[in-house]
Amino acid sequence: MNISLRQLFGRKPKSSSIAKQRLKLVITQDRLDVDDRFMTRLHHELAEVLAKYFEFSVNSVSMSLKQEGNSYVLVADIPYKKFHDGNARQ
Amino acid sequence: MGKVIVVTSGKGGVGKTTSTANLGTALALLGKTVVVVDADVGLRNLDIVMGLESRIVYTSMDVIDKQCELSKALVKDRRVDGLTLLAASQKNNKDDIQPEQMKAICDKLRSEHDFVLIDSPAGIERGFSNASAGADEAIVVTTPDVSAIRDADRIIGLLQHAGIEPINLVLNRFSPELVGNGSMMDQEDVLDILNIDLIGIVPEDTGVITSTNRGIPLVYEDASPGSQAYMRIARRLTGQRIPIPDLEHKGLLTNIVNWFRNR
Repeated sequence: MNISLRQLFGRKPKSSSIAKQRLKLVITQDRLDVDDRFMTRLHHELAEVLAKYFEFSVNSVSMSLKQEGNSYVLVADIPYKKFHDGNARQ
Repeated sequence: MGKVIVVTSGKGGVGKTTSTANLGTALALLGKTVVVVDADVGLRNLDIVMGLESRIVYTSMDVIDKQCELSKALVKDRRVDGLTLLAASQKNNKDDIQPEQMKAICDKLRSEHDFVLIDSPAGIERGFSNASAGADEAIVVTTPDVSAIRDADRIIGLLQHAGIEPINLVLNRFSPELVGNGSMMDQEDVLDILNIDLIGIVPEDTGVITSTNRGIPLVYEDASPGSQAYMRIARRLTGQRIPIPDLEHKGLLTNIVNWFRNR
Protein backbone atom coordinates (compact mmCIF):
# COMPACT_ATOMS: atom_id res chain seq x y z
CA MET A 1 0.00 0.00 0.00
CA ASN A 2 1.36 3.31 -1.05
CA ILE A 3 -0.65 6.05 0.51
CA SER A 4 0.04 9.55 -0.69
CA LEU A 5 -0.56 12.57 1.53
CA ARG A 6 -3.59 13.55 -0.50
CA GLN A 7 -5.21 10.17 0.10
CA LEU A 8 -4.27 10.31 3.75
CA PHE A 9 -6.24 13.52 4.15
CA GLY A 10 -9.20 12.09 2.30
CA ARG A 11 -9.26 14.56 -0.56
CA LYS A 12 -9.68 12.12 -3.41
CA PRO A 13 -10.55 8.40 -3.44
CA LYS A 14 -8.24 6.17 -5.45
CA SER A 15 -9.47 5.71 -9.02
CA SER A 16 -9.00 1.95 -8.71
CA SER A 17 -11.58 1.77 -5.92
CA ILE A 18 -14.00 3.86 -7.96
CA ALA A 19 -13.49 1.46 -10.88
CA LYS A 20 -14.17 -1.53 -8.67
CA GLN A 21 -17.29 -0.01 -7.16
CA ARG A 22 -18.70 0.94 -10.58
CA LEU A 23 -17.91 -2.46 -12.04
CA LYS A 24 -19.54 -4.36 -9.20
CA LEU A 25 -22.77 -2.47 -9.69
CA VAL A 26 -22.87 -2.76 -13.46
CA ILE A 27 -21.88 -6.43 -13.47
CA THR A 28 -24.57 -7.29 -10.94
CA GLN A 29 -27.10 -5.59 -13.19
CA ASP A 30 -25.67 -7.39 -16.25
CA ARG A 31 -25.91 -10.76 -14.51
CA LEU A 32 -29.45 -10.23 -13.31
CA ASP A 33 -30.43 -8.69 -16.62
CA VAL A 34 -31.98 -5.63 -14.99
CA ASP A 35 -31.59 -2.13 -16.41
CA ASP A 36 -31.95 1.41 -15.09
CA ARG A 37 -35.59 1.59 -16.16
CA PHE A 38 -36.39 -1.46 -14.06
CA MET A 39 -34.60 0.02 -11.06
CA THR A 40 -36.41 3.36 -11.44
CA ARG A 41 -39.79 1.63 -11.64
CA LEU A 42 -38.99 -0.48 -8.60
CA HIS A 43 -37.84 2.63 -6.76
CA HIS A 44 -41.13 4.46 -7.46
CA GLU A 45 -43.45 1.56 -6.71
CA LEU A 46 -41.62 0.68 -3.52
CA ALA A 47 -41.79 4.34 -2.41
CA GLU A 48 -45.53 4.38 -3.09
CA VAL A 49 -46.12 1.38 -0.82
CA LEU A 50 -43.78 2.57 1.91
CA ALA A 51 -45.39 6.02 1.96
CA LYS A 52 -48.46 4.36 3.49
CA TYR A 53 -46.45 3.42 6.54
CA PHE A 54 -44.03 6.22 7.19
CA GLU A 55 -43.02 9.66 6.11
CA PHE A 56 -39.91 10.16 4.04
CA SER A 57 -38.61 12.14 1.12
CA VAL A 58 -38.66 10.14 -2.13
CA ASN A 59 -35.42 11.78 -3.24
CA SER A 60 -33.54 10.58 -0.20
CA VAL A 61 -34.17 6.91 -1.03
CA SER A 62 -31.16 5.12 -2.47
CA MET A 63 -31.37 1.61 -3.86
CA SER A 64 -28.78 -0.73 -5.20
CA LEU A 65 -28.15 -4.35 -6.00
CA LYS A 66 -25.19 -6.01 -4.36
CA GLN A 67 -23.58 -9.37 -4.68
CA GLU A 68 -22.85 -11.24 -1.48
CA GLY A 69 -21.10 -14.51 -2.19
CA ASN A 70 -23.31 -16.38 -4.61
CA SER A 71 -26.51 -14.45 -3.97
CA TYR A 72 -27.77 -10.98 -4.74
CA VAL A 73 -29.12 -8.51 -2.23
CA LEU A 74 -31.34 -5.53 -2.89
CA VAL A 75 -30.27 -2.79 -0.52
CA ALA A 76 -32.66 0.11 0.00
CA ASP A 77 -31.57 2.99 2.21
CA ILE A 78 -34.59 5.03 3.32
CA PRO A 79 -34.04 7.76 5.90
CA TYR A 80 -37.53 8.20 7.38
CA LYS A 81 -38.89 11.18 9.26
CA LYS A 82 -41.58 9.43 11.29
CA PHE A 83 -44.00 6.55 11.24
CA HIS A 84 -47.63 7.33 10.59
CA ASP A 85 -49.75 7.07 13.73
CA GLY A 86 -51.88 4.00 14.10
CA ASN A 87 -52.51 1.80 11.08
CA ALA A 88 -51.21 2.33 7.64
CA ARG A 89 -52.91 5.02 5.60
CA GLN A 90 -55.42 3.50 3.22
CA MET B 1 -5.70 -37.87 -24.56
CA GLY B 2 -4.98 -34.16 -24.48
CA LYS B 3 -6.87 -31.08 -23.36
CA VAL B 4 -8.62 -28.55 -25.55
CA ILE B 5 -8.42 -25.07 -24.04
CA VAL B 6 -10.15 -22.06 -25.55
CA VAL B 7 -8.37 -18.73 -24.98
CA THR B 8 -10.99 -16.01 -24.96
CA SER B 9 -11.91 -12.59 -23.52
CA GLY B 10 -14.99 -10.96 -24.96
CA LYS B 11 -13.23 -7.65 -25.56
CA GLY B 12 -10.67 -7.33 -28.31
CA GLY B 13 -7.11 -6.14 -27.82
CA VAL B 14 -6.50 -7.58 -24.37
CA GLY B 15 -3.90 -10.11 -25.50
CA LYS B 16 -5.68 -13.33 -26.51
CA THR B 17 -3.50 -13.98 -29.54
CA THR B 18 -0.28 -13.02 -27.76
CA SER B 19 -1.26 -15.27 -24.84
CA THR B 20 -2.14 -18.19 -27.14
CA ALA B 21 1.16 -17.86 -29.04
CA ASN B 22 3.24 -17.64 -25.86
CA LEU B 23 1.45 -20.35 -23.90
CA GLY B 24 1.54 -22.70 -26.90
CA THR B 25 5.27 -22.11 -27.37
CA ALA B 26 5.91 -22.34 -23.61
CA LEU B 27 4.12 -25.70 -23.36
CA ALA B 28 6.17 -27.02 -26.29
CA LEU B 29 9.36 -25.76 -24.60
CA LEU B 30 8.28 -27.83 -21.57
CA GLY B 31 8.24 -30.90 -23.82
CA LYS B 32 4.50 -31.13 -24.54
CA THR B 33 2.96 -31.71 -27.94
CA VAL B 34 0.86 -28.68 -28.78
CA VAL B 35 -1.30 -27.40 -31.59
CA VAL B 36 -2.46 -23.78 -31.59
CA VAL B 37 -5.64 -23.16 -33.57
CA ASP B 38 -6.64 -19.78 -34.96
CA ALA B 39 -10.43 -19.58 -34.72
CA ASP B 40 -10.62 -16.00 -35.95
CA VAL B 41 -11.85 -16.79 -39.47
CA GLY B 42 -11.54 -13.75 -41.74
CA LEU B 43 -9.29 -11.83 -39.33
CA ARG B 44 -6.50 -14.29 -38.68
CA ASN B 45 -3.43 -13.14 -36.78
CA LEU B 46 -2.02 -16.03 -34.80
CA ASP B 47 0.17 -16.95 -37.81
CA ILE B 48 1.81 -13.51 -37.99
CA VAL B 49 2.23 -13.14 -34.22
CA MET B 50 4.04 -16.50 -34.21
CA GLY B 51 6.11 -15.63 -37.28
CA LEU B 52 4.64 -18.46 -39.36
CA GLU B 53 2.68 -16.34 -41.84
CA SER B 54 4.82 -17.25 -44.85
CA ARG B 55 4.34 -20.97 -44.35
CA ILE B 56 0.55 -21.31 -44.36
CA VAL B 57 -0.68 -23.52 -47.19
CA TYR B 58 -3.94 -24.94 -45.87
CA THR B 59 -6.43 -23.71 -43.29
CA SER B 60 -9.16 -25.22 -41.11
CA MET B 61 -11.62 -24.27 -43.89
CA ASP B 62 -9.75 -26.55 -46.33
CA VAL B 63 -9.98 -29.37 -43.78
CA ILE B 64 -13.72 -28.83 -43.36
CA ASP B 65 -14.17 -28.66 -47.16
CA LYS B 66 -12.17 -31.91 -47.41
CA GLN B 67 -9.55 -30.22 -49.58
CA CYS B 68 -6.81 -31.68 -47.40
CA GLU B 69 -6.19 -33.98 -44.44
CA LEU B 70 -6.07 -32.36 -41.00
CA SER B 71 -2.49 -33.53 -40.40
CA LYS B 72 -1.40 -31.90 -43.67
CA ALA B 73 -2.89 -28.53 -42.66
CA LEU B 74 -0.80 -28.34 -39.47
CA VAL B 75 2.21 -26.05 -39.93
CA LYS B 76 5.20 -27.21 -37.95
CA ASP B 77 7.06 -24.56 -35.94
CA ARG B 78 10.72 -25.41 -36.67
CA ARG B 79 12.10 -23.56 -33.61
CA VAL B 80 10.77 -26.01 -31.05
CA ASP B 81 9.76 -29.67 -31.13
CA GLY B 82 6.11 -30.59 -30.86
CA LEU B 83 4.49 -27.27 -31.81
CA THR B 84 2.15 -26.86 -34.78
CA LEU B 85 -0.35 -24.25 -35.97
CA LEU B 86 -3.73 -24.69 -37.65
CA ALA B 87 -4.46 -21.41 -39.41
CA ALA B 88 -7.83 -19.82 -40.08
CA SER B 89 -9.02 -18.98 -43.55
CA GLN B 90 -8.64 -15.29 -44.37
CA LYS B 91 -11.12 -15.24 -47.29
CA ASN B 92 -14.07 -16.78 -45.48
CA ASN B 93 -16.13 -15.47 -42.60
CA LYS B 94 -17.20 -16.90 -39.26
CA ASP B 95 -20.58 -18.13 -40.51
CA ASP B 96 -18.89 -20.44 -43.02
CA ILE B 97 -17.96 -22.80 -40.17
CA GLN B 98 -20.41 -24.66 -37.92
CA PRO B 99 -19.70 -25.32 -34.23
CA GLU B 100 -19.98 -29.10 -34.87
CA GLN B 101 -17.27 -28.88 -37.53
CA MET B 102 -14.91 -27.12 -35.10
CA LYS B 103 -15.76 -29.71 -32.48
CA ALA B 104 -14.86 -32.52 -34.88
CA ILE B 105 -11.47 -30.89 -35.55
CA CYS B 106 -10.83 -30.44 -31.81
CA ASP B 107 -11.73 -34.06 -31.07
CA LYS B 108 -9.27 -35.29 -33.67
CA LEU B 109 -6.49 -32.96 -32.46
CA ARG B 110 -7.11 -33.87 -28.82
CA SER B 111 -6.36 -37.54 -29.51
CA GLU B 112 -2.96 -36.69 -30.99
CA HIS B 113 -1.64 -33.84 -28.80
CA ASP B 114 -1.15 -33.00 -25.14
CA PHE B 115 -2.62 -29.51 -25.57
CA VAL B 116 -4.88 -27.87 -28.14
CA LEU B 117 -5.09 -24.09 -27.63
CA ILE B 118 -7.86 -22.28 -29.49
CA ASP B 119 -7.41 -18.57 -30.12
CA SER B 120 -10.96 -17.20 -30.00
CA PRO B 121 -12.05 -14.06 -31.83
CA ALA B 122 -13.40 -11.13 -29.80
CA GLY B 123 -17.15 -10.91 -29.33
CA ILE B 124 -19.88 -13.24 -28.12
CA GLU B 125 -21.29 -14.26 -31.50
CA ARG B 126 -20.69 -17.12 -33.90
CA GLY B 127 -16.89 -16.83 -33.80
CA PHE B 128 -16.94 -17.37 -30.05
CA SER B 129 -19.37 -20.31 -30.26
CA ASN B 130 -17.18 -21.93 -32.92
CA ALA B 131 -14.03 -21.39 -30.86
CA SER B 132 -15.54 -22.81 -27.68
CA ALA B 133 -17.55 -25.65 -29.28
CA GLY B 134 -14.88 -28.31 -28.82
CA ALA B 135 -13.24 -26.93 -25.67
CA ASP B 136 -12.83 -28.82 -22.39
CA GLU B 137 -11.45 -25.85 -20.47
CA ALA B 138 -11.11 -22.10 -20.89
CA ILE B 139 -8.58 -19.39 -20.24
CA VAL B 140 -10.15 -15.95 -20.00
CA VAL B 141 -7.70 -13.13 -20.66
CA THR B 142 -8.45 -9.71 -19.23
CA THR B 143 -6.65 -6.46 -18.50
CA PRO B 144 -7.37 -4.59 -15.24
CA ASP B 145 -9.72 -2.03 -16.78
CA VAL B 146 -13.48 -1.66 -16.51
CA SER B 147 -14.46 -2.52 -20.08
CA ALA B 148 -12.29 -5.64 -20.34
CA ILE B 149 -13.50 -6.93 -16.97
CA ARG B 150 -17.15 -6.31 -17.74
CA ASP B 151 -16.80 -8.21 -21.04
CA ALA B 152 -14.85 -10.99 -19.32
CA ASP B 153 -17.73 -11.44 -16.88
CA ARG B 154 -20.14 -11.83 -19.78
CA ILE B 155 -17.89 -14.43 -21.44
CA ILE B 156 -17.48 -16.32 -18.15
CA GLY B 157 -21.28 -16.54 -17.90
CA LEU B 158 -21.49 -17.98 -21.42
CA LEU B 159 -18.68 -20.48 -20.77
CA GLN B 160 -20.34 -21.64 -17.54
CA HIS B 161 -23.63 -22.01 -19.38
CA ALA B 162 -21.85 -24.19 -21.95
CA GLY B 163 -20.52 -26.39 -19.14
CA ILE B 164 -16.86 -25.56 -19.79
CA GLU B 165 -14.79 -26.14 -16.63
CA PRO B 166 -12.39 -25.05 -15.23
CA ILE B 167 -12.30 -21.44 -16.38
CA ASN B 168 -9.00 -19.83 -15.45
CA LEU B 169 -8.14 -16.16 -15.53
CA VAL B 170 -5.01 -14.55 -16.97
CA LEU B 171 -4.62 -10.98 -15.79
CA ASN B 172 -2.68 -9.31 -18.57
CA ARG B 173 -0.86 -5.96 -18.89
CA PHE B 174 -0.68 -5.58 -15.13
CA SER B 175 1.30 -2.52 -14.08
CA PRO B 176 2.88 -2.85 -10.63
CA GLU B 177 3.52 0.91 -10.53
CA LEU B 178 -0.09 1.86 -11.29
CA VAL B 179 -1.42 -0.68 -8.80
CA GLY B 180 1.03 0.63 -6.23
CA ASN B 181 -0.26 4.20 -6.48
CA GLY B 182 -3.93 3.24 -6.58
CA SER B 183 -4.56 3.93 -10.27
CA MET B 184 -5.13 0.32 -11.28
CA MET B 185 -7.18 -2.49 -9.73
CA ASP B 186 -5.05 -5.27 -8.29
CA GLN B 187 -5.64 -9.01 -8.60
CA GLU B 188 -7.78 -9.15 -5.47
CA ASP B 189 -10.13 -6.48 -6.83
CA VAL B 190 -10.45 -8.30 -10.16
CA LEU B 191 -10.99 -11.73 -8.56
CA ASP B 192 -13.54 -10.28 -6.17
CA ILE B 193 -15.57 -9.15 -9.17
CA LEU B 194 -15.07 -12.11 -11.50
CA ASN B 195 -15.13 -14.97 -9.00
CA ILE B 196 -12.98 -17.47 -10.96
CA ASP B 197 -9.52 -18.94 -10.39
CA LEU B 198 -6.45 -16.93 -11.32
CA ILE B 199 -3.84 -18.89 -13.28
CA GLY B 200 -1.37 -16.06 -13.74
CA ILE B 201 -0.56 -12.38 -13.91
CA VAL B 202 1.38 -11.06 -16.90
CA PRO B 203 3.04 -7.71 -16.21
CA GLU B 204 3.03 -4.99 -18.84
CA ASP B 205 6.13 -5.71 -20.90
CA THR B 206 7.29 -3.65 -23.89
CA GLY B 207 9.10 -6.78 -25.03
CA VAL B 208 5.71 -8.00 -26.33
CA ILE B 209 5.75 -5.26 -28.99
CA THR B 210 9.23 -6.07 -30.26
CA SER B 211 8.66 -9.81 -30.14
CA THR B 212 5.46 -9.40 -32.15
CA ASN B 213 7.34 -7.19 -34.64
CA ARG B 214 9.84 -9.97 -35.13
CA GLY B 215 7.40 -12.88 -35.04
CA ILE B 216 9.31 -14.52 -32.20
CA PRO B 217 7.15 -15.26 -29.14
CA LEU B 218 8.40 -13.63 -25.96
CA VAL B 219 8.95 -16.95 -24.17
CA TYR B 220 12.08 -17.58 -26.25
CA GLU B 221 13.66 -14.72 -24.30
CA ASP B 222 14.23 -16.02 -20.81
CA ALA B 223 14.89 -12.78 -18.98
CA SER B 224 11.82 -10.69 -19.73
CA PRO B 225 9.13 -10.45 -17.02
CA GLY B 226 6.39 -11.26 -19.55
CA SER B 227 8.24 -14.37 -20.69
CA GLN B 228 8.69 -15.59 -17.13
CA ALA B 229 5.02 -15.01 -16.40
CA TYR B 230 3.91 -17.04 -19.44
CA MET B 231 6.35 -19.85 -18.55
CA ARG B 232 4.86 -20.01 -15.04
CA ILE B 233 1.32 -20.18 -16.45
CA ALA B 234 2.37 -22.97 -18.83
CA ARG B 235 3.83 -24.92 -15.91
CA ARG B 236 0.58 -24.48 -13.99
CA LEU B 237 -1.32 -25.79 -17.03
CA THR B 238 0.79 -28.94 -16.90
CA GLY B 239 -0.30 -29.42 -13.28
CA GLN B 240 2.74 -28.01 -11.47
CA ARG B 241 1.97 -26.00 -8.37
CA ILE B 242 3.73 -22.68 -8.66
CA PRO B 243 2.69 -19.78 -6.45
CA ILE B 244 1.63 -16.54 -8.11
CA PRO B 245 4.23 -13.93 -7.16
CA ASP B 246 3.10 -10.60 -5.74
CA LEU B 247 4.01 -8.10 -8.45
CA GLU B 248 2.67 -5.00 -6.79
CA HIS B 249 5.16 -2.20 -6.17
CA LYS B 250 4.99 -1.46 -2.49
CA GLY B 251 6.16 1.68 -0.78
CA LEU B 252 9.63 1.81 0.74
CA LEU B 253 8.37 1.26 4.28
CA THR B 254 6.35 -1.86 3.34
CA ASN B 255 9.37 -3.25 1.52
CA ILE B 256 11.57 -2.74 4.57
CA VAL B 257 9.00 -4.38 6.84
CA ASN B 258 8.62 -7.34 4.43
CA TRP B 259 12.39 -7.70 4.18
CA PHE B 260 12.62 -8.15 7.95
CA ARG B 261 9.59 -10.45 8.02
CA ASN B 262 10.96 -12.73 5.33
CA ARG B 263 14.30 -13.27 7.01
